[in-house]
Amino acid sequence: MGFQMQPYGLQGMLKEGHRHFSGLEEAVLKNIDACQELSVITRTSLGPNGMNKMVINHLDKLFVTNDAATIVNELEVQHPAAKILVLAGKAQQEEVGDGANLTISFGGELLRNAGELIRTGLHPSEIISGYTKGINKTIEILDELVEKGSETMDVRNKDEVVLRMRAAVASKQYGQEDILCPLIADACIQVCPKNPANFNVDNVRVAKLIGGGIHDCSIVRGMVLKHDSVGSIKKMEKAKIAVFAGGVDTSATETKGTVLIQSAEQLENYAKTEEAKVEELIRAVANSGAKVIVSGAAVGEMALHFCERYKLMVLKISSKFELRRFCRTTGAVALLKLSQPNPDELGYADSVSVEEIGGVRVTIVKNEEGGNSVSTVVLRGSTDSILDDLERAIDDGVNSYKAMCRDSRIVPGAAATEIELARKLKEFSFKETGLDQYAIAKFAESFELVPKTLAENAGLTAIEIISSLYAEHASGNTKVGIDLEEGACKDASVMKVWDLYVAKFFALKYAADAACTVLRVDQIIMAKPAGGPARRDQPAGMDED
Amino acid sequence: MAAMLQPQIILLKEGTDTSQGKAQVVSNINACMAVADVVRTTLGPRGMDKLIHDDKGSTTISNDGATIMKLLDIVHPAAKILVDIAKSQDAEVGDGTTTVVLLAGEFLKEAKPFIEDGAHPQNLIRSYRTACTLAINKIKELAVSIEGKSLEEKKKLLAKCASTTLSSKLIGGEKEFFASMVVDAVIAVANDDRLNLIGIKKVPGGTMRDSFLVNGVAFKKTFSYAGFEQQPKKFQNPKILLLNIELELKSEKENAEVRLSDPAQYQSIVDAEWNIIYDKLDKCVQSGAKIVLSRLAIGDLATQYFADRDIFCAGRVAEEDLQRVAAATGGAVQTSVNNVVDEVLGSCELFEEKQVGNERFNIFSGCPSGHTATIVLRGGADQFIEEAERSLHDAIMIVRRALKNSTVVPGGGAIDMEISRYLRQHARTIAGKSQLFINSYAKALEIIPRQLCDNAGFDATDVLNKLRQKHATGEGLNYGVDINTGGIADSFANFVWEPSVVKINAINAATEAACLILSVDETVKNPKSESAQGEAAASAMAGRGRSGAAFGGRGGRGMRRR
Repeated sequence: MGFQMQPYGLQGMLKEGHRHFSGLEEAVLKNIDACQELSVITRTSLGPNGMNKMVINHLDKLFVTNDAATIVNELEVQHPAAKILVLAGKAQQEEVGDGANLTISFGGELLRNAGELIRTGLHPSEIISGYTKGINKTIEILDELVEKGSETMDVRNKDEVVLRMRAAVASKQYGQEDILCPLIADACIQVCPKNPANFNVDNVRVAKLIGGGIHDCSIVRGMVLKHDSVGSIKKMEKAKIAVFAGGVDTSATETKGTVLIQSAEQLENYAKTEEAKVEELIRAVANSGAKVIVSGAAVGEMALHFCERYKLMVLKISSKFELRRFCRTTGAVALLKLSQPNPDELGYADSVSVEEIGGVRVTIVKNEEGGNSVSTVVLRGSTDSILDDLERAIDDGVNSYKAMCRDSRIVPGAAATEIELARKLKEFSFKETGLDQYAIAKFAESFELVPKTLAENAGLTAIEIISSLYAEHASGNTKVGIDLEEGACKDASVMKVWDLYVAKFFALKYAADAACTVLRVDQIIMAKPAGGPARRDQPAGMDED
Repeated sequence: MAAMLQPQIILLKEGTDTSQGKAQVVSNINACMAVADVVRTTLGPRGMDKLIHDDKGSTTISNDGATIMKLLDIVHPAAKILVDIAKSQDAEVGDGTTTVVLLAGEFLKEAKPFIEDGAHPQNLIRSYRTACTLAINKIKELAVSIEGKSLEEKKKLLAKCASTTLSSKLIGGEKEFFASMVVDAVIAVANDDRLNLIGIKKVPGGTMRDSFLVNGVAFKKTFSYAGFEQQPKKFQNPKILLLNIELELKSEKENAEVRLSDPAQYQSIVDAEWNIIYDKLDKCVQSGAKIVLSRLAIGDLATQYFADRDIFCAGRVAEEDLQRVAAATGGAVQTSVNNVVDEVLGSCELFEEKQVGNERFNIFSGCPSGHTATIVLRGGADQFIEEAERSLHDAIMIVRRALKNSTVVPGGGAIDMEISRYLRQHARTIAGKSQLFINSYAKALEIIPRQLCDNAGFDATDVLNKLRQKHATGEGLNYGVDINTGGIADSFANFVWEPSVVKINAINAATEAACLILSVDETVKNPKSESAQGEAAASAMAGRGRSGAAFGGRGGRGMRRR
């Protein structure tokens, strides 16, 4: 970019090398274009028939996924306006854990429509006010659409959980939701605390093991550690467990010191006393009734020797988080120093065993009775990327469980809600008198994105589907959505496709907020990037079209 | 001014490569087919080997799919998935790696015309998944259980499975010889199912026939000090002490320091050090052990001390060998020589040091717990033995899986033909597009017998037609390609068997991979964080897919072959 001309105005004020765009043409429309580009990338991944994306990030790691949050995360979006959309998606991911794609695609669609309005002469501020009215009205309508009787649910009832989780999982792993949902539901229900609002997502673990197929996935009440035990003892049943966070070894001083030996006797006894000390410690642990020792750091050879002698199974868990979860699973208290544990500091597991699954040796810690702490979904699949994608589907499922624990209301899925919102909002726009009625109408139109994309991704004709959906809705069948299997319109309650109210609520809200934020910008000033090699003049890459 | 400042929309980082659309799907398929073509010719008993010369200058000759795929150094992201499934097949069942790549390639090849004609990939995926489930159920139904047979009979059956695997390998000529060896080894390890308990030692020289199985442990003579030659080299029923300490003169602890005020004490310190080592050695001797092995060094002092007392010792024994000795002899590795009780000592019937080729081997045989076995491989060239080792590894895995799951299916393409027939039949009952898709899935399965014929130099069309006819009659469900005559034969009667788990996993993994590749419609490649380095890789990938069908036909452009 050349800045050869005389600096004046803002140019004169700022340091050389900054970039600055302003006005409708330069800033607003360009921002809109950028956001649209982004939403085009994610849009084809929307819905169960969405396509996957292959993203190779800067570390050369390959992702194959249709999870929008992951895609935009790894895309390294640079454009400042598009970043706002990404942030909206991330906010959605953190708040609800699902529906990030809806946020980004819908945000992009809102902006696209705003672009059209700007070209016809509306001022961004009018669009913003229209969009704000639109989203407020949308939320009102959304409240009315909530399925009756869904306000209360039994979060321990597997059927009800699966019902609410299905759509979220199906949009990630279509055709496999019937296998995955019951697994996720079981895992979640197992660890659901007395007060469901306190459900912790972290308590449902996923262990990915290469080999086998999705039919071999299973649930373990307890934990699966992806490594072998240290010693030669590989199996222990009904065992008390002592956990030492600081490692099982002779304690060395942190301060650098030298042992002074003054006589031959001392030299001869030096090794012996050390040995005796370790033995004493291990014996103390063994006497406390523990059968399994878990170490958070290195296990000394001498210590291991005595553990074997006293028939103690030794596990090493070097991750602090993993160790904490292990403590939660077994109810053990992690001790810092190797010493005799009190009885109440010992944990318990029904069985701790090393098994080989798909060529990998894993340690399975089972805790059937006290099992309200941690459960693990063991995923099998033939490649890393499949496993990663399955894991994301599980994450979404678990997150929806968390969301439904807080708010169990549901709305019809399969684009039924969106069509209904579009229809009602359009009616509302006719009642408005100001210029913003056009913006509201466009806002309503944006909802068509969802049925359109769903139909397109499934290889159906979008126009036909949308018009017949409108027809059905106008005649009062407000729960009619797209049946992707048959390519026809069908009642969502019959298909059992339900979306969580909260997911939809936040997705629409964040998208509208992001769109308004982007629209509000009319000037971009980018300071010269600090340091680093100079930019190339002509940015290579996309967007010549 | 406005024209000058016209900003580019830089949505993504500079150097980011994106490609999208149908063309992207087709280009991914092409890349995968190119990879499948590489391993295609290695399938089956008459398959050819590949010589791979890597950038370090070492040469590998192999027809093991997983090995070839690993060494190919594929950079194309879609084709990498095929490498992954080969690896996963290797981990899960150990054999059938070529099969899985070939099947995935063929599924994609069959899908390609549909994609080009505008079928939506998701429809294909759904049909493929249905077909996969049907196929697997059919395999389970057809599988023959070997459960409940006597040990002798089981051994014979397992040997059949092993020889089916081995027949497609370099050592196929000696398959009976090795099959029984492998089965014996696996049965010896039996319940304690750990792969690393079966050791394979390679000694160049001699012929394949000179290979032998040790029902126990064997490892190469370790580095030894003076005095070693005086030690006895053969024991009957010796006790074995396994150590994890150094038997050498050394300082007790790194940070210990001796400070003396009286020079007269100097000698006492020196004596003390000697006392410590003698004390240790004494304890070893007192334990009654006749063989002392240590993971760490055993110095010359100790070697001579043991030689004087008719004890054999070996220092610096590799960790896994020591573990195997521990498992075989029932001993436990000690980190201290104090308080060595009898139960931590191992024992075996016979220990001897033996000359194998130009190496000396320590061999422990007739071990009481019998949980280990070691195969000593002999052969001409290094590469040959390497390949033989890989082949044996495959065979060992196969036998382990067969033992665990205990069902087998007829090999030689018979099971594939039968599933193919079954799926075709099933497809006829389906209305709609998926009929076509399932039909093409069924057709893709025929690649196995077809490739077997091609590799053996038979007329594939002819043989396939014979097979189809035989399977269609409903009686010949066990008929497969007869590799010896060029016709068809009952694989089951000819003992060409494979464990069913191999086929199930192969079909499962191949379908999953094919579906994954079909479901990708966009590739975004970010520049590497170290920048410049990534250029080569980035340019190797297909360019922007949106520019249309221009590169539809460029197969495997993204793959670099060495």
